[in-house]
Amino acid sequence: MSYIDVLKETQNVMTPGSSACQGCGGELILRRVMQIAGNNSVFAVPPGCMAGAGVDGWNFSNGCTAPIHITLLDNTASFMSGVSEIYQRKGRTDVNIVAIAGDGATADCGFQSLSGAAERGAKMLYVCYDNEGYMNTGYQRSSTTSMGSNTSTTPAGAAINGKEQQQKYLPLIMAMHNVKYCATASPSNMADLVAKIQKGLAASKEGFAYLHVFSPCPTGWKFASDQTIQVAKLAVKSNMFPIWEMENGKYKLTANNNPISVAEFVKGIGKFAKLTEEEIAAIQSMADARYATLKKLAAE
Amino acid sequence: MNDKRYYTPLGNDGMYVLDTAAWRTHRPVMNKEKCINCGICMGYCPVNSVYCEDKVFKISYDFCKGCGLCAAECPKKAIDMVPEGGK
Amino acid sequence: MGVIKAMTGNTAAYTGAALCRPDLIAAYPITPQSSVVEGLAGLVYNGKLDSNFVQVESEHSAMSVVQGAAAAGGRVFTATSAQGLALMYEPYFRMSTLRIPMVMAIATREMTSPETIWSGQQDAMSVRDAGWIQMFCESNQEILDMMMQAYMIAEDERVHIPVNVCYDGFYSSHLMEGLDVPTQEEVDEFLPKYDGYAYLDPGHPQALDPLTPGNLMMHYRKEHLDAMERALDVIEEVDAKFAAKFGRSYGGCLEEYRCEDAEVVLVTVGGMSGTGKDAVDAAREKGIKAGLIKLRFVRPFPAKRLAAALEGKKAFAVVDRSVCFGWNQGPMHMETKAAVADVDAKFCHFSAIGGLGGADLSYEHMVQCIDKLEAMKNEPGEKETFWLMAD
Repeated sequence: MSYIDVLKETQNVMTPGSSACQGCGGELILRRVMQIAGNNSVFAVPPGCMAGAGVDGWNFSNGCTAPIHITLLDNTASFMSGVSEIYQRKGRTDVNIVAIAGDGATADCGFQSLSGAAERGAKMLYVCYDNEGYMNTGYQRSSTTSMGSNTSTTPAGAAINGKEQQQKYLPLIMAMHNVKYCATASPSNMADLVAKIQKGLAASKEGFAYLHVFSPCPTGWKFASDQTIQVAKLAVKSNMFPIWEMENGKYKLTANNNPISVAEFVKGIGKFAKLTEEEIAAIQSMADARYATLKKLAAE
Repeated sequence: MNDKRYYTPLGNDGMYVLDTAAWRTHRPVMNKEKCINCGICMGYCPVNSVYCEDKVFKISYDFCKGCGLCAAECPKKAIDMVPEGGK
Repeated sequence: MGVIKAMTGNTAAYTGAALCRPDLIAAYPITPQSSVVEGLAGLVYNGKLDSNFVQVESEHSAMSVVQGAAAAGGRVFTATSAQGLALMYEPYFRMSTLRIPMVMAIATREMTSPETIWSGQQDAMSVRDAGWIQMFCESNQEILDMMMQAYMIAEDERVHIPVNVCYDGFYSSHLMEGLDVPTQEEVDEFLPKYDGYAYLDPGHPQALDPLTPGNLMMHYRKEHLDAMERALDVIEEVDAKFAAKFGRSYGGCLEEYRCEDAEVVLVTVGGMSGTGKDAVDAAREKGIKAGLIKLRFVRPFPAKRLAAALEGKKAFAVVDRSVCFGWNQGPMHMETKAAVADVDAKFCHFSAIGGLGGADLSYEHMVQCIDKLEAMKNEPGEKETFWLMAD
């Protein structure tokens, strides 16, 4: 079945009217994950853009057609592992246990609980939509923010030019937890994203499944709302966001052997407007080294 | 004696729905002469405003925010972003 | 018919918890609580207890895992001490304010700094305003018995508030006493099988904890406080039920020891109460009319019963194993004197609560408070709490 057919045959689970920004990568990812997981699921979406957009409900209303809980910013994986345990105990293993969280709730303060749940092999699918910062509170830097990004807490100033550190590469850290399934995906490669959501859900019946999805943010990164997919495509083509998966310890890399340069990726994105050539070179060498590492992991 | 409505905060009084169509400054309009019904616009729509009826892809304006992603990504350039008229 | 066994407080705690048949246990080791986790792990790993046992990486996750399991309808248990309690404060506060029942043991311990692992009640006392029901045990028998009572109180329809069973680290947790341990059948007869409501279930999809504005937050908080009031009665009922079944009564919210004709009274909390009772006995032999009140529950605070118990006495001292920073005294002394403040009331006074969760705390509210005071100023004593609702 083509991914288009999959999407045609699934229902919108998230509220049709959410307050996510125009062209939001996070909303796109959230809708795809929720519609493929379906209503026979329990969802958790911690504070962040998607919670702010209303998917966790307001007042006495729900923000989706399935059961959902706004976990704490830092306990999404552990809360859901408790939910999962009870569903296992009741024998209701058909119910999908799905967490969808931003990079702050995943890579920063939520990392301890995520690491614990992954190490225990808690049966769930955990999806991180990585927009590289705390966008809901006005784009403060996170550990996954790219080097040189002009954020509200790492401004491109006269003394320091944006974020000084390279991003933390969380997906590989998650794979090293010996989880059942770990993958990266980009909304630009929609067929691949849909397939990986399906694989992740299947793997979540046997153990911990982790999906790290690139989530361009027009508002925070400063690009036009119709460029979200274009930005995601260039991130993949430049190896700024390599696409790979790990199943039962075996790595599979989606080859991108003739990448475009990082300079081409950053060109149209406002947060990178003040990057120097030295900084671009430093990001380029990080991207090259990371791709080389992944290639080695994927080599038989 | 006690109002259980205020025991545990629960959202079960229907759906929170925001009128996001009101945000739109431009509306995507499909040119069915160019459209090949590939469905790529549906895959990329962040609001799920593209649907398929009788194998034909259509745009619903109920919640479309007018982001323009469908128009930008259409391989046949079959979607135009047309300014919304004022009142 | 139970059996007599020698047990430490921690063994009593995990034995009592296990007899309540929890669906899920998540806990993390910390001195002096660790042997509770170890004991439960031993029961589960040896097939003697049918519970899901989740080995978490922190207390924050311990409370989070049990929260998720309770939200899915499970009966759950965890235990902690001191720094672990401090680390879990975030999901701890949420557990009570979600109003989902559960039981957690606290082997109480002093809070660092100076660096310490030893006994003290500062940990539990410091979180007494986090919405949980909190009770303190004197003996190991009481620890075991209170596990069953705690589930019954927490799960009561009128209450729906999680319960802490606290006992002194080391003095209770590590010292042995002889206990009368009931059989599983007896416990099953006393504590009904838990049929927990699943807040998160695709069968009835709903949002657990949607974003809530202040005007509604005021109603949630008022209901939580009302439930604490109702719990005072439920605690007494459960104590009576327990006494009828097992022949042991602890007096409910507080225990009075040789208080009837007493002039001077010690007020104690937890394990120190036994020592206090010995001192009272010695004082009586010397002709001092001494008595003791053991505060068993500190949340809800049994203010009325305590004030009645102190009625007509000449002097009282409250022995605290924790401090109240900024008041230069112990927290239970603070609260005891608040409970008896109106014995010879000079002031008319009331509590007014408003502005929670962003609710408007308005000029009109202040005017209403003044008008109320003006109307009642010649009637000394505490008046009903005034909720400054936003709508």
